[in-house]
Amino acid sequence: MLKGLKEGKLWSILFNGYGLLFLTFLYMPLGLIVLYSFNSNPINMAVWTGFTLDWYATIFGGASVEGTFDAAFTESPERIFEVVKNSFLVAIFAASISTIIGTATAVALARYKFAGKRFYQALLILPMLVPDIVLGIALLIFFVGAGFELSLLTIIIGHVTFLSSYVFIVVSTRMAGMDTTLEQASADLGAGPLTTFWRVTLPQIMPGVIGGFLLGFIISLDDVVITYFIAGVGSQTLPLFILAMMRRGLRPQITALAVLILIFSFVVATIGLLLRNRKP
Amino acid sequence: MIAGDTISTRKKRALFLLLMPITLVLGIFFLIPLGIMITYSFLEPGLYGGVEWNWYPYNYGRILGWPLNDYEEFEPIYLAIFLNSLKIAGLTVLFSLLICYPAAFWVSRMSPRRKNFVLFLITLPFFANLLIRIYAWLLLLRPTGFINSLLQGVGLIDQPLDMLFSNFAVIVGMVYIFTPFMFLPIYANVEKLDYSLVRASQDLGAGPVQTFLRVILPLTAPGIIGGSIIVFIPALGNFIVPAFLGGSKVQMTGNLIERSFLQSRDWPFGAALALLIMGSVVLLLVIQFARASRRESRGAA
Repeated sequence: MLKGLKEGKLWSILFNGYGLLFLTFLYMPLGLIVLYSFNSNPINMAVWTGFTLDWYATIFGGASVEGTFDAAFTESPERIFEVVKNSFLVAIFAASISTIIGTATAVALARYKFAGKRFYQALLILPMLVPDIVLGIALLIFFVGAGFELSLLTIIIGHVTFLSSYVFIVVSTRMAGMDTTLEQASADLGAGPLTTFWRVTLPQIMPGVIGGFLLGFIISLDDVVITYFIAGVGSQTLPLFILAMMRRGLRPQITALAVLILIFSFVVATIGLLLRNRKP
Repeated sequence: MIAGDTISTRKKRALFLLLMPITLVLGIFFLIPLGIMITYSFLEPGLYGGVEWNWYPYNYGRILGWPLNDYEEFEPIYLAIFLNSLKIAGLTVLFSLLICYPAAFWVSRMSPRRKNFVLFLITLPFFANLLIRIYAWLLLLRPTGFINSLLQGVGLIDQPLDMLFSNFAVIVGMVYIFTPFMFLPIYANVEKLDYSLVRASQDLGAGPVQTFLRVILPLTAPGIIGGSIIVFIPALGNFIVPAFLGGSKVQMTGNLIERSFLQSRDWPFGAALALLIMGSVVLLLVIQFARASRRESRGAA
């Protein structure tokens, strides 16, 4: 008995120690970026020379970098504002359209019996199993062949193709655990399918719908690979902008911009995850 | 009777309206583009980009050695790069599995409140932008980066280690990016693990190693396989991680595809390479599906 207890304790110490290492592995790289973004050393971020907010200031146009070493690497605040605007436009439209399509599909598959249901279930998983680069080039070939001009519109369409699947899965999960007696009661009392949907079903699945929207919003905002292939000259998004900056070299401004994006993504993701975890 | 009919027609109409958007979106912007891409891989590249509509299987000949014509030559480098991509993706799966498997047991033993919080912490990095996570590893691995500064600072090494631009750097970056993908399926499985079977095995005199290999491992196999597939697919086709952490030294098939589309503008060749990746993915899924259905039929019998 005593031996068993000791062994159990040893195991739990080992597991906790390992768990701590695991979380360090996940968060240390991100913590490092945050730390570096406040380092005043413009040449080597790994050597600490003092605390500064200059890198953040340059993003908002607060600090002038003209004539300094970094002038050549710094983008104007107007340019950054433009790509951020592009990213948000794409994410809002793509996530909204995907939420409507994904929710409609989830309702259809959860509430109706029909031939071809399995086909739809398989079809909806496919966009998530196809590697990003394959979807990216397939869309590029299609858009160019069909005479679309690459623009924010093509990016939105591209995002909708795979985000609909994500929303579908989040909403379906919510509906799987749902009690259908309320819907039946509503139908028995003479409400049409549309009324039942608006007044009974939708309020119940709302956390799933909002969670799906936020997930779609974040994935769209962060997407690099598919956007990379279907963005036109005048439709650069924030991730593509950062990609271009990273290709020119690692500068403290990128680090500061990265931290701002990180904070935003984490706040939205936290809201989404909290909503998803709420029990139906 | 009449009422029943109208309800059924109304139901049909509702179903039609609910399914129409997804059918249009996935039909027009997913299935058709994939079909066109497959077609392109069998067409002749045009002189200035684009394609000529001639049957042309020689794009595959350049990669695989057959079939060839007078203009296309077999270039073994493409196959070598593909094999290296398979190796990198395989090792990424292996290492993320080794990292995530014990972690899943760690989380599964927690109290519900703590468990939810730690699960949240493990999921959160998934939402950090891909580029930012790669950027962090650039800062860690480069010659003047964090790890080298640290090791030199404590006097363990004189010269900075050459870690960046290697298979190692690419694998580390991918393991970091795909950790949540591997962790969640394994965790879902470990969480449901029936410990009475583990105790029964011990009571019957099996040692810890035997219990692990004969009981725990088979019971958690579906999670391991699921996680491995979800990690392997995006790892195999990746081109952003090798572009930054592999530099010009480590090429993956994804980098070749990117270049044939955006630089050399040889779209049929790029499409053929993409189909090589798709083919591997489909093969993997078919094998897994066959295994799963065989297990199911065995379970039923």
